[in-house]
Amino acid sequence: MIRAIRRAAICTGLGLLVQLVAALHWTPFTFIASAVVGLPLILVGGFLFLRAVWKSLKNQGPS
Amino acid sequence: MLPTSLVVALLVGVVLVAMLILGVTPLAAHTVGRLVLLVGLVALPLLLSAGNLSYGVSESSSTRFCLSCHEMERFGRSLFVDDKQALAAVHYQNRLVPRENTCYTCHKDYALFGDVKAKLNGLRHVWAHYVTGVPAQIKLYEAYPNSNCLHCHDDSRRFVEKDVHRTIATQLYAGSVSCLSCHRIAHDMAKVDAHQFWQAQ
Repeated sequence: MIRAIRRAAICTGLGLLVQLVAALHWTPFTFIASAVVGLPLILVGGFLFLRAVWKSLKNQGPS
Repeated sequence: MLPTSLVVALLVGVVLVAMLILGVTPLAAHTVGRLVLLVGLVALPLLLSAGNLSYGVSESSSTRFCLSCHEMERFGRSLFVDDKQALAAVHYQNRLVPRENTCYTCHKDYALFGDVKAKLNGLRHVWAHYVTGVPAQIKLYEAYPNSNCLHCHDDSRRFVEKDVHRTIATQLYAGSVSCLSCHRIAHDMAKVDAHQFWQAQ
């Protein structure tokens, strides 16, 4: 679970980094990069995190 | 202009995520820690992305953004030509449109999905700029709709009191006669090439 969350966090961090770089210099290219690369990375990161937590809860079973 | 608050917020987000990466092991061990991870890795980044995207969409309507592609530079210069018949110059110089959104104000449709259509056309521009190449002659995807002119001029006194407008009002509203059939010069490129620009005293 820890490794999966770390992977999710790296994805999210990269997504934020792409958006940060784009925000430093807005051009049509950086806007597209921000929307097409940055945002999906955040979404994938969120999905990976939720999946990791879900799997962990499922493995624990009913308490 | 640098969107300072957005940049700072994104920077804080990046630093926070980096800290969470380092502290995953202790945080994941208890419920509160997991909640912190949920906020820091899902909720906050999504919020920041929404803010960033919203800023980007708004920025993409700015004159500066449109003119950032070199093929638009001549059109940008046409806003400054010394020609009282050229529509772009007249609207810009007389502040009939907001100067920071000049291109967008005239080139977006005012129908229900006008904004969406304009943004999709913007994507086509970007595609042409980076992938397929810009055509030798830049032209509109479709004929300029009267409704864009009438959105502002519709009930303006100067427009209503012109006899010629009253005579052909039905055709103008129906779109069967284009405003550009009389107001022929949208962007005066001849004067751009001749460097004839208006300079405020």
